[in-house]
Amino acid sequence: MTGDATPTGTAARDAIELAIEYPHPPARVWRALTESAALARWLMPNDFSPRLGHEFTFRVEKAEGWSGVVHCRVVALEEPRLVAYTWSGGPPLPETLVTFTLEPSASGTRLRLVHSGFDAGGPPALSVRDILASGWGSTLLRERLPALLDALRDGEE
Amino acid sequence: MAAGTLEQETPVYAAIAHPVRRRLLDLLADGEQPVKALAAPFAMSRPAVSQHLRVLLDAGLVAERRDGRERRYHLRGERLREVHRWLSRYERFWRDHLERLGRYLEEEP
Repeated sequence: MTGDATPTGTAARDAIELAIEYPHPPARVWRALTESAALARWLMPNDFSPRLGHEFTFRVEKAEGWSGVVHCRVVALEEPRLVAYTWSGGPPLPETLVTFTLEPSASGTRLRLVHSGFDAGGPPALSVRDILASGWGSTLLRERLPALLDALRDGEE
Repeated sequence: MAAGTLEQETPVYAAIAHPVRRRLLDLLADGEQPVKALAAPFAMSRPAVSQHLRVLLDAGLVAERRDGRERRYHLRGERLREVHRWLSRYERFWRDHLERLGRYLEEEP
């Protein structure tokens, strides 16, 4: 197994940012990121093709409240160190940007994922950005909420 | 990522986007409170705090109860649970998939 994906702590206010090390050379990680069949295995079924400007979709089963389709367009491609595509997952969210950066490391490859652009879509998206950025999600929601919800169960209307 | 759920929940997300309202929810996490106690930590008037509470009420995040001449507020778990579900799904999405990428790299020749 690889290490856990951890927040890098340098995230811009409107981004989700994670970094992870894989004990494999960048060329292998690059293939897993840019071959449609490989992406389908670890991410979602898709019609990705490694061409600048290529428009594609990720498709999964419809979920509660979600069409299950993400519309994307390849906007950066620099083998074997950078691939980026737009990511548009539904009307309430703006078109966001997913960027993968690969760097050789002592043990293999350091992969950095940045999912950015949440501030581009007006108030609803701004709220999400603010909530993620404030850390509120991690303190109240993650640490205190489970116990709180148990306590609230009886008194809830 | 279940982005669509956000559409139906926009009032909830707009409500918790404001730092004062998030702080109010934090205070209410300690239990039911009268407006007076909720207003105490803020450098703003009681009516201003009441307005923020109104937004939280309309979004279904808190409920109010009259106790004599006092209004007391408490958290409504149901709405918060939805927020929690949505946010954790969103954040967890990439974490889970990067770990799946790790397993994929282990398994494939």
